Amino acid sequence: MSEHTVSRYDDELKDIARRIAEMGGMAERLVDHAVTALTRLDTTIANSVISDDKRLDLLQRECEEQAILIIARRQPMAMDLREVIGALRISNDLERIGDLAKNIAKRVIALDGQFQSKRFMTGVEHMAELSLAQLKDVLDAYALRDVKQAFEVWKRDAEIDQMYTSLFRELLTYMMEDPRNITFCTHLLFCAKNIERIGDHTTNIAETIQYAVTGELLPDERPKHDDSSITTVPYETT
Amino acid sequence: MTQTATTQNGLAEKVSIRNLKFFYGQNLALKSINLPLYEKKVTAFIGPSGCGKSTLLRILNRMYDLYPKQHAEGEVLFDGGNILNPGQDLNLLRARIGMVFQKPTPFPMSIYDNIAFGVRLYENLGKAEMDARVESALTRAALWNEVKNKLTASGLSLSGGQQQRLCIARTIAVRPEVVLMDEPCSALDPISTAKIEELIDELTADYTIAIVTHNMQQAARVSDYTAFMYLGELIEFDETQKIFTAPSDKRTQDYITGRFG
Repeated sequence: MSEHTVSRYDDELKDIARRIAEMGGMAERLVDHAVTALTRLDTTIANSVISDDKRLDLLQRECEEQAILIIARRQPMAMDLREVIGALRISNDLERIGDLAKNIAKRVIALDGQFQSKRFMTGVEHMAELSLAQLKDVLDAYALRDVKQAFEVWKRDAEIDQMYTSLFRELLTYMMEDPRNITFCTHLLFCAKNIERIGDHTTNIAETIQYAVTGELLPDERPKHDDSSITTVPYETT
Repeated sequence: MTQTATTQNGLAEKVSIRNLKFFYGQNLALKSINLPLYEKKVTAFIGPSGCGKSTLLRILNRMYDLYPKQHAEGEVLFDGGNILNPGQDLNLLRARIGMVFQKPTPFPMSIYDNIAFGVRLYENLGKAEMDARVESALTRAALWNEVKNKLTASGLSLSGGQQQRLCIARTIAVRPEVVLMDEPCSALDPISTAKIEELIDELTADYTIAIVTHNMQQAARVSDYTAFMYLGELIEFDETQKIFTAPSDKRTQDYITGRFG
């Protein structure tokens, strides 16, 4: 793309894209570390996630200020406008992803010393792997402005939703088996929910990439497979 | 004579420009322009200096007839008739298609007469009727409250912004159907500009408006449709919303985002 007549404008747009890239890397790392902390039940890593999230929040505020300044100063139009609005939205989604990672870390700390059984962890681990892969792909798609890859990410979120629904059933079953599992499984369930929400923010980013590049919105309804809101497990008396 | 073509988007074409070419002597300034002006909509013309947008506007009320060696080819259909026909009554045309210029051009006469002058050319109104016409034109141009107590003062005594609104009042007093505006705000401060833009919004209830502007944000604010012109060609014509968020042509994109040349 050719450059603006006013080169400072180009610098400002590059600067905001750079900040988004930095935020993306940081959000990815936070999720990765939060999941590691959870699967290893490691409170040291969990604590580092909680403190690192502050830096992400700070970056998000800087990003937002920069976007507002560009709008005020340059009154961006067309692709520039979409770029700036896209940066605003993506920085919000990344900040929320950081918060969700932080929430997982907090639960790891809460679980310290509780009755724990690592066999419950397998499902959450799978979900997290998929969710992280999705996040990585969407950030690559943003860096390359690759609409096709963004669309693939957008479609694939259904898998995370399905995993979440089956995990929901599984954890309920563990809780019914033995009430001592309840604390652990409830926290785990919230962690799984957080990961599912990270998937949702990832698809938001995919939608924003589509808009920023083409000016067109993706369809309203994404194929949804999170049925946990209507899922129950019958209580069987033996 | 008042039939207007209706297009697939359900809008009536008040003016239809077909294969319009324009020559300054041997120099081809407009290259086969095709474009509608939709009825009771605002159409903005944007493009770099020399792209032909003002030239196009001047054709729409045959302003170029005032200059030798300039001529137009093609068709400009207005209510079914081609206004480029040699037989076109120019006074009547200019009453039906009025024009507001870049610099305010009040006549060196009273505020009242600035408005009444044009009306007297076309209509024979009694005093009370004329008073009412002057008041309504000044009211619509958002100037009445500022001048109602000094209608006999010279039009030249007004501020720039007021003079421009006086010129708009003068234009709409003869009840045209189309109003052409050639950079009407370029000499005005932001407050006067806002008043003119408010006025443009108001006028679309009754008038079809074409506006040439160098201010992209202004085009985005006031218009329903935008035409981007470059080097005498119409590059893109679309809904304003589309042009300023996701234009189809790269040249449009480059121009409105400030990447040109």
